[in-house]
Amino acid sequence: MTSPLLQINHLKVNRQDTIICNVEEFEIQPRERVAVIGPNGSGKTTLLRVIAQLESSYSGDILIDPALSQSIYVHQTPVMFRGTVLFNASYGLICQGVPPQDRETVAMTALETLGIASLAHRSCRQLSGGEKRRVAIARAAIVKPALLLLDEPFADIDQTGSDAICELLFSLTETAIVVASPQPVPHQLDCRKFEI
Amino acid sequence: MQDIWHGLYEAFFLLLQLDSSVVDAALRTAFVSSLAVMIATLVGVPIGLLLGQRNFFGRTFLVLTSRAAMGLPTVLIGLTCYCLLSRKGPLGDLQLLYTEPAIIFGEFFLALPIIVTWTHSAYRSLDPAIVETMISFQASWWRRTLTLLSELRSPLLLAILTAFGRCATELGIAMLVGGNLKSTRTLATSTALETSRGEFSRGIAMGLIMLLLAVIVALAIAFFNREEEHPK
Repeated sequence: MTSPLLQINHLKVNRQDTIICNVEEFEIQPRERVAVIGPNGSGKTTLLRVIAQLESSYSGDILIDPALSQSIYVHQTPVMFRGTVLFNASYGLICQGVPPQDRETVAMTALETLGIASLAHRSCRQLSGGEKRRVAIARAAIVKPALLLLDEPFADIDQTGSDAICELLFSLTETAIVVASPQPVPHQLDCRKFEI
Repeated sequence: MQDIWHGLYEAFFLLLQLDSSVVDAALRTAFVSSLAVMIATLVGVPIGLLLGQRNFFGRTFLVLTSRAAMGLPTVLIGLTCYCLLSRKGPLGDLQLLYTEPAIIFGEFFLALPIIVTWTHSAYRSLDPAIVETMISFQASWWRRTLTLLSELRSPLLLAILTAFGRCATELGIAMLVGGNLKSTRTLATSTALETSRGEFSRGIAMGLIMLLLAVIVALAIAFFNREEEHPK
C-alpha cells in the first residue's frame, strides 16, 4: 500500500468557543477521489481549508507527504481576477511561467471541455455564478496539481455543466481530488464517501 | 459686485490670450504636483500594502498616524519642510529652499499619507480569497504584486487623483518653501499674490484654472467610480 498523501488525526477547529470542525481520522491516498459529504455548517469548508493550509488555528495532527508538490483549493464562492475568462483560466500556468501560446492552447482546451470556450474573451465580471465556478475549476484543473480541493463545485451548475466538470476532473488521472458537498456528488466521479 | 464681474471678464480674456504668467504658473503647478504625487505613489503603495499584509509591532500606530496625517494643515507641513531645508536646517546644505524641488519635497509629504492610507484601506477591503487563490497557485512575489496592483487599480487611481487635487491646490507649502518667487510661483501662490496686489482679474484667472483642475479631478474620480460599479 502506498503512503497517504495526507493524514489527519483528531482535528478540531474552534471559533469563539464553538467547535466548527471535528474530524477524528481522515486520509487521502495519491490519485484518490474523496467526497466529503455533510450538512451545512458541518465543517466541510473548514476541513478543506485546513488541508489547503489556509487555516492556522487548529488542534490535531496533520501529516503531509513531502512529495505533495501543490494543492489547490477552489473556494465555495469562486474568485475571479480582474480580466478575461482566458486570463483567469490560464492564471496557474502564468504563475508557472508557461509561454503564452502554450498556456492559451491548454486553457482553451479546458474551457471547451467545460462548454465555456465562447466566453474566453469576455470579462469575468459579466459571468453568472455557474460560469464563474466553471472558470475557477478550469483554472485549478489546468495546472494538474497533486491535490485538488473543490468546495461545492456543483452548486449553481446545471446537468450539462455538471457532466462537463465530471469529465474534466475524470481526465486528471494523477491528481487526488477532494470534493466537499452537502449532497451526494455525481456517480461518474467514482468517489470514496466520507461523512462529516 | 461689479469688480467681480469685471474680474471674471478679464480673467477669461487672460485665459484666452494664454497670458504667460498664468500659463507658467499652471504648468509649474502641474509639473511639481505630478512629480510629488508620482514619488509619493512609488513610496506609498508598497508601504500601504505592507501595512495591509503584515502584522508587526507598531503597525496600528503607523496606520493611525498615516490617517491622522491626511488632515495635516499644509502650512504646518510647509513650516516643517522650511525648518528642514533652511540654511541652518539638517538639509540646508542641499540649498533647495525657494526652488521647485523644495515644493516637490513638501508636497510629497502631503501626498504620502493619502496614498498610504488609501492603499492600506483598499487592501484590507479586498476579498481575502483573492490572496488565498494566489497563494494556492504558488504565485511568485512579482506575480502577486502585479495581481494585487491590478485588483486594487481603481482605489489606487482614486488615491492618486485625490493626492494630485490636494497638491495642485495647496498654498501653505508652495508659499513657505517655494517663496512665491517668479521661478517657483504656482497657481495657489499666484492667486494670493495677485489678489494682494489688487490684480483681481489675474487672481480670478488663476483661481479659475485651479477650479478647473479640481473639477477635472472630481470628474475623473466620478468616472472611475462609475467604471468600478458598472464595468463595460
